Amino acid sequence: MCRTGGVPDPAGDEASTHAAFTALLEDSAEDLYESAPCGFLSTMMDGTIAKINHTLLDWLGLDRRAVIGRMRFTDLLTVGGRLYHETHFAPLLRMQGELRGIALEMKRRGGGRLPVLVSAVIKHGVGGEPLLIRITVLDASDRRAYEEELLRRRQEAERSRAEAERARAEADEARRQAEADRARLADALAVLQRSLVPDSLPAVPGLETAVYYHAASPDQLGGDFYDLFPVAGDRWAFFLGDVCGKGPEAASLTSLTRYTLRAAAHHDPDPAAALATLNAVLHERYTAGGNPRYCTCVFGIVEPGRGQGPTTVRLASGGHPPALVLRADGRAEFLPTPGGMLVGVLPGAPIGTAQTVLADGDTIVLYTDGLTEARTGPGRDDLFGEDALRAFAAEHAPAAPHEVITALTGLLKRFGDGLGDDTALLALGAPATPSPAHPARTS
Amino acid sequence: MDVRHRNNVKVTGRDDGPVLVLAHGFGCDQNMWRLVVPALAERYRLVLFDYVGSGGSALSAWSEERYSSLHGYARDVVEVCEELDLRRAVFVGHSVSAMVGVLAAQAAPERIGALVMVTPSPCYIDDEEYRGGFSTEDIEELLASLEANYLGWSSAMAPVIMGNPERPELGQELTNSFCATDPDIARVFARTTFLTDSRDDLKSVSVPTLVLECEQDAIAPREVGAYVHAAIGSSRLVTLAATGHCPQLSAPEATTEAILGFLDTIR
Amino acid sequence: MNPLRITHRETPAGPLLRLSGDLDFDQAPELRRQVDQLDLRPGQCLVVDVSGLEFCDSSGITAFLTARQRALEARADVALSAVPANLLRVLTLVGLDRVFTLLPAGGDPARPTGQDTR
Repeated sequence: MCRTGGVPDPAGDEASTHAAFTALLEDSAEDLYESAPCGFLSTMMDGTIAKINHTLLDWLGLDRRAVIGRMRFTDLLTVGGRLYHETHFAPLLRMQGELRGIALEMKRRGGGRLPVLVSAVIKHGVGGEPLLIRITVLDASDRRAYEEELLRRRQEAERSRAEAERARAEADEARRQAEADRARLADALAVLQRSLVPDSLPAVPGLETAVYYHAASPDQLGGDFYDLFPVAGDRWAFFLGDVCGKGPEAASLTSLTRYTLRAAAHHDPDPAAALATLNAVLHERYTAGGNPRYCTCVFGIVEPGRGQGPTTVRLASGGHPPALVLRADGRAEFLPTPGGMLVGVLPGAPIGTAQTVLADGDTIVLYTDGLTEARTGPGRDDLFGEDALRAFAAEHAPAAPHEVITALTGLLKRFGDGLGDDTALLALGAPATPSPAHPARTS
Repeated sequence: MDVRHRNNVKVTGRDDGPVLVLAHGFGCDQNMWRLVVPALAERYRLVLFDYVGSGGSALSAWSEERYSSLHGYARDVVEVCEELDLRRAVFVGHSVSAMVGVLAAQAAPERIGALVMVTPSPCYIDDEEYRGGFSTEDIEELLASLEANYLGWSSAMAPVIMGNPERPELGQELTNSFCATDPDIARVFARTTFLTDSRDDLKSVSVPTLVLECEQDAIAPREVGAYVHAAIGSSRLVTLAATGHCPQLSAPEATTEAILGFLDTIR
Repeated sequence: MNPLRITHRETPAGPLLRLSGDLDFDQAPELRRQVDQLDLRPGQCLVVDVSGLEFCDSSGITAFLTARQRALEARADVALSAVPANLLRVLTLVGLDRVFTLLPAGGDPARPTGQDTR
């Protein structure tokens, strides 16, 4: 082996180490005890302090004379530290003979607290009897600060989690509330809808009746309406129509229309007069105020023959598609009411009228344009239309009201998505084999 | 839930002996009695249990509402007595449990025939003439340090006990009972223990009672022992030549002797 | 749904609005808003060119009626220009062909006449 430059002479190294050891040896054990970077104390088995080092006295701001023989170890501790000492530290020490690294808190003069880590060991006499307790105290301020930071972080995390949970609970509650509101609204809509059209048609002596209503959207109030009710004598009034717009505004217009027509029919059972009244009311209520609202409507008066005469029908129409009549002989024809105009748009708007006689087995059908405007192809102009409707009716004539309605209902179903609008159907017919007590039929 | 499971009930000692119910105090569990159990078991049937939230109890049964009052702990005692159909049992309660025994005797007088109150305190906070040993600030500091300290306590304790192979009797269950208390549960128990003033309840005690205190107790000073003795007409006061708040650990022989002596006088 | 587009041009005879797209429940309010902003003077004629309309429902009809009312208040006239067949059918059914002045395509008063006689 060759020595090379740069490596220190081992002899010189030894010399400097030796000098350091000498300096250390001059550091007396007593001085080390008193000035060590940790606290030392010894107590009797009952906790009375017999010996304590300068470091610990200095940390706590205590005078040796006030401590030795006068204070117990627990007197140095905070209340929390004392409690822990009594319930854990002392019992464990007694059982085990030693303890290491217990976190406690000591009181400082002036009220401060010193977090410490304490280790303790019992010194036994030659006979094995416990003599005294030796205790080492380490300053744990830095460690405590670190632990407190960890604790604070954990609490923050828990708080954030709690807030997130609360927010989620609130969102759940809001959703439940919204669902409940929607259910209540749906109930209210259903009640309103029932006020716009009758639950069922009354039985009319000497007349068969049938009706069908298709709502385009289950959560929207319909804009179509119909009614059938008795007026003076043996006559019955009926109407069917379609208001503009949709939703609640259409519903309020429908409501006004229905009750206006009912009142007007009792006042003057002339169909054109009833529609004229409705026109005046709607015009005054809406259009004159700059908010045009209108409806199309067919209003009729029927006087069943009941086997003693012809069943007569008089109609008035404001801008509504013409009524359809299925004759007992198999023909189907429209009953035009030319000249009529939307109801409610112009003051004194013209009203078209028509009348017909229903022979036994004849049926008259009123409908809204949901039927004729139903799309039958991809284009917007591929509509079912009036010609096709008349052809369809001719195929089914003759037919009693419930048969016509059943056939048309089937047709509507076949339209599928092509049926984009509300559709109302009302059919009245003179029974093919008249009987005074013939029950009315509805479907 | 089955009460025996819920409260980790253990029954030992003489099958035909009179019954002692041993109830631990705050921050402990039934292991606190281990040094006095052998001597007591020779003559008595012993019922040991843990309050819900402590030791080996079923933590799922714990609720802050119930255990924020000493009455909640007293219900545990009564329910354990009912489960075992105990009548006129001797209730031995340590520290706060001594007052729990008073409340349990109120609630179910037929179950509890005598009380042994080991280092009891009906109120830890000084109040005018009364010396409980702590100021309100002391207790607030204690609760605050309890809150902040747990991290240090739990992490500091485990290696100490685990690293003691020469003392195998300090088993795993002791580690658990001393170290693994849920901090939230311990905080509620501490608030209940140290903020409750049960002095008025002492007057209700009419059964034979032993008040056991230590000469030096940093938690329940001598004045408190004297107060409890004075408030219970049917009580005897015994002062043990012992240090600390847990004489069943620091002076188990003297503690056993005092309890057995008291029991002899009431049989 | 086809977006409704409205172009506005002033002519010597009055404002000309040219519509294309769909005039339905959702978009009809836009026509009404534009009509409200017009500066209509007495004697003028508001012409609405509907040749580009692909769809018109009752909301569209209502918008036309509103425009008509607005014109009447200003002592002006209103006309629909180049009405597609489908819309014309509806207008006729409800009787509005007698309420609105209907101009043929190119019958726009602002344009020289005779260019488109479709």
